[in-house]
Amino acid sequence: MADNRMNLKRLIGLYALYGKMDLARFLKDTKYALLGILADTISNLAAVGGVFLLAWKFDGVGGMSKYEVLFMLGYCTLVTGLFTTFCASENVGHISRRIGRGQLDHMMIQPLPLPVQLMAEGFIPFSGSSNVWSGGAVLLFSIHMMGIVLPWWWVFSLVLNLFITLTIILSQSYLYSSAAFYAPVAAEEISSIVIDMQGNLSQYPLSGMPLGLQVSLLGIFPTGLLAWFPTLALLGKLPLHLPYLFPAIMAVVIFIPTQFIFRKGLKHYVETGSNRYMSQGFRR
Amino acid sequence: MLKQDQIDICPRDSAVRIQHVTKTYEQWQRSNEGRNIIRNLIKPDKRIITALDDVSFEISRGEFAAYAGPNGAGKSTTMKLLSGMLLPNAGNITVLGMSPQKDRITLMNHLGVMFGNRTELWWDHPVIQSFEWKRVVWNIPKSSYNRMLDMVVELLDLQSILHTFVRELSLGQRMKADLALMLLHEPDLILLDEPTIGLDVLAKRQMIRFLKELNREKHTTILVTSHDMDDLEEMARRILMISSGQIAFDGTFEELRKSAGSLCRIEVTLDSGESAGSGVGSGVDSASAAGVDADVSCGARAVSGAGTAAGALSRESGAGAPVIPQAKLLSSTDNVCEYEFDQAVTPITSVLSEISRINGVIDVEIRKTPIEEVITELYIKWRGV
Repeated sequence: MADNRMNLKRLIGLYALYGKMDLARFLKDTKYALLGILADTISNLAAVGGVFLLAWKFDGVGGMSKYEVLFMLGYCTLVTGLFTTFCASENVGHISRRIGRGQLDHMMIQPLPLPVQLMAEGFIPFSGSSNVWSGGAVLLFSIHMMGIVLPWWWVFSLVLNLFITLTIILSQSYLYSSAAFYAPVAAEEISSIVIDMQGNLSQYPLSGMPLGLQVSLLGIFPTGLLAWFPTLALLGKLPLHLPYLFPAIMAVVIFIPTQFIFRKGLKHYVETGSNRYMSQGFRR
Repeated sequence: MLKQDQIDICPRDSAVRIQHVTKTYEQWQRSNEGRNIIRNLIKPDKRIITALDDVSFEISRGEFAAYAGPNGAGKSTTMKLLSGMLLPNAGNITVLGMSPQKDRITLMNHLGVMFGNRTELWWDHPVIQSFEWKRVVWNIPKSSYNRMLDMVVELLDLQSILHTFVRELSLGQRMKADLALMLLHEPDLILLDEPTIGLDVLAKRQMIRFLKELNREKHTTILVTSHDMDDLEEMARRILMISSGQIAFDGTFEELRKSAGSLCRIEVTLDSGESAGSGVGSGVDSASAAGVDADVSCGARAVSGAGTAAGALSRESGAGAPVIPQAKLLSSTDNVCEYEFDQAVTPITSVLSEISRINGVIDVEIRKTPIEEVITELYIKWRGV
């Protein structure tokens, strides 16, 4: 208990450190940093804009109104923003790169538990949060346009859903990344491939799709849990008569084997070592 | 195993204890022949490489020890095992009374690790930011951090680069900053793998001076690997040599030289105006007999007393160098002849006495055989070449 409290205290201290480092990097050349954020925001809005224009043209998709689709796209952008803010930096979210490049060695010589290091090192609240703001704005705009009044506790429900969605994304990233322990060359980029593909797929509403496809994209390759299901759950329109906490159950189902497989891979790493070390700026 | 048990097993004066450690790696083998494609797929060839083979040694607290060996001998593997980056296949490793695997977090508060070809510095930040990062991650008290920061900045002359981005540092500056970063938490034991690799003479001297001072004044235990034997000899008192995964030598540099035969070099400079006289034997032949190529170019010399006794100093009959019994002629150019002899076999006084009989000697310089050459001989011997 005391250990956990100490780790939490250290974690908060580390978040403050990495936040400060991100701000320093951000302010190194503020003009280019702002341009980068602007470009990031525009490209993400453009990416979700395509789907929204289709929904606008056909006045909704598969039973979802155009503003419900916009809500989903806002949720999707928000998730991308949170992933970038907490995990994208230093390849924390794309851990297969660190494994494949033999860079876990650097983590072994820090006097911190590995999960604490991983939770903190990717934190870039200033340079990585543009999608959080743009996603949040899209979400609020869509709620406004739908004209719905949401209870105060709905915010907690949103936060819970975002947390679950991030857990699913990270669990999958770490699950597939475990392959890099055994095949560092072939699997070095596996995490980015999996996450990017899921990110792209998650922007499409599954409403109106064949049942088999919906079930597959919720249970086998759970892209539907990244935006579509949470959107409908948050709007009170649960699909396929599934329970509200279905994404949480799936998150646990993916997280438990991931933890086991990743630990096993890590053991393999310290037993065999890595001969693929890439030096200079190892956190890249 | 309880921590107390580990401390009992590893005495307090021991910084590193490696007992019967074996570490093997698998290496994939593949032929490029088309007919082996299926075999490569189903049952690929794997070769077992034994990096460490039942290795045992101990480093006491406060020691400055060098760890050397040819490429692939197992040096970096040992460093990785000691710093918890690798697990051994067999044997026990105790570092500062702790297991690098089981007590990793506690141990890392007392251990400093630096690999010359790696950096812990943050690439896109000024050097001082990496130092600040270290303070937070290692949870170093502010007062202790400030004291150490002042010390490393002064001794390593870092003031001018503290606010420079790491990406823009030269290799020497980067290595110094990395060394400083490693020292900020005042480690009791430092593991350095090739710390002087790629450094120029000045940067190397600075680093060596600093490490010696650290060991002398703070009694920090240091284990260092390098291919530069002169650097190691300057830094460390003890040298452990590893070859083919086994400790091939453990002792002082003096003992290492002795193990190679107490070889000593003597350089004789002759007056260029001296002309050849009559004497016994051919210098070229004698030189050849001494194991030297026959293209020696020392001028012919008259040797007093030459030919009076077998084995006495002989003189050239043409182009060649004087022959000194029991000394091997190594080179001879522009009236400077270099010989090597074994002090254990031939006393230096007897060699000097022989040299005094050569006509036209204007200078004599005696020195130990360079450690690099002693090591080269040893490596060749170990490899059975």
